[in-house]
Amino acid sequence: MDKFKILIVDDENDFRETIIKRLRARKIDIEGADCGPKALEMVDAQDFDVIVLDVKMPGMDGIETLRQIKLKKPLVEVIMLTGHASVESGIQGMQLGAFDYVMKPVALDDLMDKLRQAYERRVIQLEYNK
Amino acid sequence: MEKKSHTSPLLNLFHDLGGNLAVYGTALGLVILAVPLGLRAGPMYALAAGLLAALSLVTVGRVLRQKDTALRQKELSDEQLLQSQKLASIGELSAGIAHEINNPLAIIRQEAEWLLQLYKKDSPPDAQETQSGLAEIVNQVDRAREITHNLLNFARRSQPVVQGVELNRIILDMTSLVEKAAQQKNINLVKRLAPDLPLIESDAPLLRQVILNLLNNAIQATGKGGTITVVSEAADHRQVMVQVNDTGVGIPKEHLSQIFDPFFTTKPQGKGTGLGLSICHGIIERLGGKIIVTSVEGQGSSFVIRLPQALDRRGR
Amino acid sequence: MAALPKILLVDDEERFRNNLKKMLAAEGFEVAAAGSGAAALEELALKPYDVILLDMRMPGMDGLATLAAIKERHPDPEVIVLTGHASVDAAREIIRLGAVEFLLKPCPLEEVIAKIETAYDRKLARQEKS
Repeated sequence: MDKFKILIVDDENDFRETIIKRLRARKIDIEGADCGPKALEMVDAQDFDVIVLDVKMPGMDGIETLRQIKLKKPLVEVIMLTGHASVESGIQGMQLGAFDYVMKPVALDDLMDKLRQAYERRVIQLEYNK
Repeated sequence: MEKKSHTSPLLNLFHDLGGNLAVYGTALGLVILAVPLGLRAGPMYALAAGLLAALSLVTVGRVLRQKDTALRQKELSDEQLLQSQKLASIGELSAGIAHEINNPLAIIRQEAEWLLQLYKKDSPPDAQETQSGLAEIVNQVDRAREITHNLLNFARRSQPVVQGVELNRIILDMTSLVEKAAQQKNINLVKRLAPDLPLIESDAPLLRQVILNLLNNAIQATGKGGTITVVSEAADHRQVMVQVNDTGVGIPKEHLSQIFDPFFTTKPQGKGTGLGLSICHGIIERLGGKIIVTSVEGQGSSFVIRLPQALDRRGR
Repeated sequence: MAALPKILLVDDEERFRNNLKKMLAAEGFEVAAAGSGAAALEELALKPYDVILLDMRMPGMDGLATLAAIKERHPDPEVIVLTGHASVDAAREIIRLGAVEFLLKPCPLEEVIAKIETAYDRKLARQEKS
């Protein structure tokens, strides 16, 4: 079940590239975007299963990006990431359909668990919608 | 294959054998017993035994058919009740929405009317007053947008997506999110989670919303130095139970019955949409569970959620 | 010509309340405003009013309870009910409790003034009889 495609959206370049490197080392197919608009372009062009999305980004923030993603591809699962817990955006994000809301730094194993659960949920929903 | 479990083991037996077969089987048994006994005792007794057998056949058959009809009627009326409850709550929701949207609209109209008045007078209108009016219009439009967006979320009739869920994991994740907010108020966040809590069939993101909402409310209600306790344990009837207790301001008795109503809020205008707890209630119901609240004003509140370990595949 | 009626505005929505007070005052009315049912009752105990504009949906002591209390303790002023939505059931109860008019938000200023004048005329007519 590790054959899923991930997109990580975060303006913090070091963080984003590190996650990409480490997940690729575990044979995960993962791409990155450094801002909301770029992410939306990529979502239009490719089929991602799970998107890891930073809440606080300059320009289009995480919540707005999440809204747009859910409009374009409602069955894509989104995991929100935040550098400091903002309970309001957590609640708001999950009401908008985010699968989970996680604080940085996130242990890679935990992230993997959540990615798998998110992917499983997507598979189930795709089955429902056949 | 649906597993129906009935309260009467006898009915279970009938269902397993296929209703009619059992009826005839029983009556047949009676005939087999009665007739030779009757014959030995005399033709009158044989006739009586035969009649008794026929009577029992008819009676048992009728009883079973009635039970079946009653069951079907109950299912139908349950469904109708559910539907009418849904409609009733949609009605309530519409009234709530109308009120909520019309408030920002009313203010927008006032601002616009006032600006029109300003421009009718001879002297040029005060720039600051004009800007303030226009800014308020933008403000109220954003407010109305929040309402409709929240509403769309509330009304979204999504079937829960059922997966195996580790409830304790969810509780730990969500409490870690609110830890900082709790620390800032010197609130003690206590977790008493059953180590052997069974995995449950449920919808994890929906449960996260509920838990986070309850924790957030608890923190807002609790003053400095208070305590919030989160408990998880296995409960009887193959259920699990989660509690979020706080030592906060509590909920006045007259509000308790409305606390899960959509748009019910005791917060001042603009703060909180009043949808949070009604969304939680809706989610828990959809997940086949129950959420109840007890509270004493000035002492604190307790929200208790019960969830089934396994879900009927229809997500009820 | 009769003096302009003295008006008490009761609405928890601050901006709405202040705007309406400002606009009615600009038309020459003497207006006071209260932000809750309790505050309204206090105000009514202090001064006489001719017409009360009462919002139905308020936290704490809600519109219906306030209406009942007003009619019990200060039955003299006429009450116009302000609401974002009037269901038939609510309307029946509101009329039964003694309100004379409805104003559905958002309401144009001219409509507010027209209904205030109608209510005031009714009060004057009532007082002439006694």
